[in-house]
Amino acid sequence: MNSSKPVRWIAVCVIAGFAVALWFSQPAHEARATLPNQPTPSAAVPPEATALPEVAASYNDAAFHAAGTRLSPSARAGREIWFKATAGNARFHTYTFQQRITALIDWYGVLRGDQRDTRFKTWGLINDPGCCTPGSAGCPAKSYEETYGFDWCPGDQTLLKFVGKAGYRDPACDFKDAAATSSDPAGHRDGREDSCNLAFGTSTGALGFRKFPNPRFDPVAWKKLNGSLGTWQGYDRKLSSDPARADFKLRKLADASIEPPFLIGTSCASCHVAFDPAKPPLNPAHPKWENISGLVGNQYIRISELLISGMPHDDLLWQTFAHARPGTSDTSAIPNDQVNNAGTINALINIAQRPTFAGEQVKRWRKTAACPTGTKASSCWCEPGKPGKCWENSLQAETVHHILKGGEDSIGALGAIQRVYFNIGSCSEQCWVNHLTDLRQLDPQARNFGQTPFDIGQCRRDCPNFRAVEDRLQNILDFFLTAPEGHARDLREARANQRQTPYAEADLERDLDHRFGKNAVSRGQQVFATNCARCHSSGKPPFEAVNFRALDSKTGLRADWLGNDVPTPVTEIGTDRCRALHSNHLRGHVWEQFADENYFARKTVSGILEPHDGGRGYYRNISLLNLWAHAPFLHNNSVGPELCGWGGDKANPYEQYRSSYVDTSRPGNPPLARDKQPACWQYDTSVEGRFKLYVASMNDLLSPSKRIPKALKLDQDIVLDIGPRIFDGKEEKRVTGFTVRVPAGASAGNVGNFRHKEFIGDLVRAKLEPAELDARLAKILPAHDAKQVASEMRNIGKAIVSDPNRLVELVKAARARTPALWQVYSSCNVEIENDGHRFGEDLSEADKNALIAFLATF
Amino acid sequence: MPVRAVFFALVLSATLGGCDQIKSWFAGKPDIVYAPYGKDYASKPDLAQVEYEHPIPLKELIKVTPKYLAGLNQEQLDQLYARLGSGPIPNGPFDGEIVFTRGGTGKLRAAEIVGGLAGLGLNVKGKLLETAGETLWKGKVFYRDEKVLRNRIEDLAVLRPVIGPGDIPKIAVDGKDAWLLFPAKLYCGQSLIDSRRESIIIDYAFTDDIPGYRERPDFLAGRRGLKVRDEIRMVRPGLYLGRAYMDHAFILNFVLYNKDLDRAGRAEFEAGQVRDTCWGGTQKRIVATR
Repeated sequence: MNSSKPVRWIAVCVIAGFAVALWFSQPAHEARATLPNQPTPSAAVPPEATALPEVAASYNDAAFHAAGTRLSPSARAGREIWFKATAGNARFHTYTFQQRITALIDWYGVLRGDQRDTRFKTWGLINDPGCCTPGSAGCPAKSYEETYGFDWCPGDQTLLKFVGKAGYRDPACDFKDAAATSSDPAGHRDGREDSCNLAFGTSTGALGFRKFPNPRFDPVAWKKLNGSLGTWQGYDRKLSSDPARADFKLRKLADASIEPPFLIGTSCASCHVAFDPAKPPLNPAHPKWENISGLVGNQYIRISELLISGMPHDDLLWQTFAHARPGTSDTSAIPNDQVNNAGTINALINIAQRPTFAGEQVKRWRKTAACPTGTKASSCWCEPGKPGKCWENSLQAETVHHILKGGEDSIGALGAIQRVYFNIGSCSEQCWVNHLTDLRQLDPQARNFGQTPFDIGQCRRDCPNFRAVEDRLQNILDFFLTAPEGHARDLREARANQRQTPYAEADLERDLDHRFGKNAVSRGQQVFATNCARCHSSGKPPFEAVNFRALDSKTGLRADWLGNDVPTPVTEIGTDRCRALHSNHLRGHVWEQFADENYFARKTVSGILEPHDGGRGYYRNISLLNLWAHAPFLHNNSVGPELCGWGGDKANPYEQYRSSYVDTSRPGNPPLARDKQPACWQYDTSVEGRFKLYVASMNDLLSPSKRIPKALKLDQDIVLDIGPRIFDGKEEKRVTGFTVRVPAGASAGNVGNFRHKEFIGDLVRAKLEPAELDARLAKILPAHDAKQVASEMRNIGKAIVSDPNRLVELVKAARARTPALWQVYSSCNVEIENDGHRFGEDLSEADKNALIAFLATF
Repeated sequence: MPVRAVFFALVLSATLGGCDQIKSWFAGKPDIVYAPYGKDYASKPDLAQVEYEHPIPLKELIKVTPKYLAGLNQEQLDQLYARLGSGPIPNGPFDGEIVFTRGGTGKLRAAEIVGGLAGLGLNVKGKLLETAGETLWKGKVFYRDEKVLRNRIEDLAVLRPVIGPGDIPKIAVDGKDAWLLFPAKLYCGQSLIDSRRESIIIDYAFTDDIPGYRERPDFLAGRRGLKVRDEIRMVRPGLYLGRAYMDHAFILNFVLYNKDLDRAGRAEFEAGQVRDTCWGGTQKRIVATR
């Protein structure tokens, strides 16, 4: 055999596989310990920054702290950490995400001060009441030159002096620690990690988004690039308007040699903070602290679009990652699990009543005062320089929560909270980026071909930000458990606030009965007990006897959490199964150490085509508390009206809405004709706005046959020019290669779920080792399907060698002929996202209305 | 055509990546321990643990030669690279040598994948490619103050058709002339193999604003061409280990060597006084203390 043939063949397969797959999805300043330690430009401090006046009395952190005065010292500390601590993730959001994960964020486009008033409409971000627009009355900063284009926020009087200069002392260094948990060993109580490593920085103007001065910033270079210190527009600019150039989609943001003035970090509040449903602001762009809850979950945030905001819209990465509904995010995307599964940000309310599960086998690290002599560090480890601060790793039976949509985080609430910090970038460089899949790595022997497990012990040892958070996890949990902002906010209370008159339970029931029919609320309770409570109650049957409104004497909260949190096979629920097929917690995968043995031992769910072993295939039965305030519904916010920030006007460049309504009567489920698409609902945070959305979403939920199917689709072609180019002095010419075009209208999920490594590997096997391919397929498919898939792969291989431009067309046709192809090469086949959960569809209209009325009272 | 394209791309990458007949200066083979590993990606040890359990003493780094590096397989190179710091951004001319990816058998990894006679052919071709690359590419010249680098290219005849007419600046190193082409920017940035500390990045993406940039042929390495990005870490002053990527896909390793800088920096290195320019991470490094 001529040796060049297989090489050519493999090269084409590899390139072709990339071309099809192509979503490359993949997400400090930090505190003292992680600050860049390089020399900084000598002329780094702009004169404007040093001239800032002292802080005006009205713009400071006092109102933030005042909102927490009723809390215990521990919960108060937890609240501050929740709102402010980035735990070092600013390096992730400024360097790692861009350079290693290859996704660009347009931080200025998202956070620029001159768009403070429209930030909520565009991005769903919640403005920090403590910040101000430079030049506005009372604002300490008089121009954007002083703030590098951002809002002025408390603490900036110091921070701005350190832009381009080393030596910034993080405000977290002055964090007031609460007393340590008395039951902890003395070494743990006395040896907490330096609070500087919580890394607060200062607010960017949007709650949860924090900024840090970049010591590498060079003001001279910045001015040259942008024309002024007060803007990032030169850095944001597109490189060319000439479509003939290979870089015309690209922005200067891709130039990693440029150091921006700020590193941007995120705290947990970035996604979890939102408006208190019972005290919404009059104007969402100008909230006060009394309008804000750190635990309710932001159902408006467009975090997916935000994290990919520096990429062109026809880029593969943008098209596969950005299509998520407001309030949802594919949090498993950054580790590259290749399961497209955006999910909602959960409301962390009434946690004290959330069900727990006793007797689970939990392998985790536990605090101890000493390690037995000779123990390996992987079993027991003491922190150097901290006498008596040791951790032992062992398997024990414990009572735990099930956290995440499928209950994957199951080693205890504290471990689950800590993992959230990794999910938002903390310790990424030290502990977990090396464990992620590199979508470009196609050699199964090479590092990063697939995920490997994150090691909690290693991270504790090597990342001070880990220890800073870990030593204060109980504070955060206390905040969840006791803070009033973590309590359910009933419609009754909301209406009372809105009307500023007493409004009792009886008044609410009267009004609901008036709206939904005579005795609707009491009838609704019966309907609920009979049809819903087996999953959506934490009480015990018979549910007809349960008082769902009874209060818990210890917590004062309603005893029933309105959900049993029990994992249920997704086949029983029938909803979009992609989230249930999340694989990051499987053995051998990145978050393995955050799942307990019971998770791994779950019974395999039958009736699922795609890989679904190892604990996958389940959804928890969620809580129905405050449904009135949290529509739309289901884990992906797909049931109910579609939401938009600006009213859906496509001509508005700030409108991010893209209709996902599809026509299932036509092949390929194309987008529904525009005149048949229901209009999107503009964000309405008022009490009545939320209630209207609830009613519409409940009607959708209970009448699945009336739901218009939804599937998020590519809204622009993804065009991939594969192959090197040369320049002949006049124009660029591709030396060789081909173009792949994934057309607009293709399902974003299908692109994101495509398992390109398996596909490429099998294309190679089909050519070089056909018997091995046959054997592999025979293990995962029935004999007939296996033969058919093998045949298709051989044919695809031959065809793309002769004409690689036809790749997408060939694969599409093969899939139509042989559906099993997608069973092998897709992580999740689901097309329609708002299907399933058909429970209640057979109820009478009166009973549906009754149920809507009843559930509105919680 | 695709095979030619791949060949062309690799030659160009090789010309930017690594070169010369670099001689061993030290007789003793370094005693560097590599953590156990298997074939499969999942069997490769965590780099943080490799460094924790097998720190490399300074006295062993001093024994490392370009020849030693060229004899390592890819996993060994990965484990070694991960235990290095960025060192200071170099200054001045360096000789270069290419080290293609070798698998556990010692053959080029691509040849291992294909196997059989075809693999043998590929192995031979790959070695020719190494030679071809090193014939063209002589090394790199760092201009630390400007944060710019240029590559030393020996034989213009091969590239002339894509370069076009005109004078090209040149440099003489050890009495030999080489042309300076393919400028790149230097900065501290993310390593694409080991995130735990930064590497020195040699980035060809945005070089059109570097004085002396020539659209032909510098374009080829840039964002509109092959999207080349190198990263290097210091073995010791005067000796750097590098990795070359095209559009974020790993292509080859390379070694940079300057014997004068090696000699000049030896005492400072042995005293553990050479500092990393780039972010050194937070994992405690034991290298300087053992």
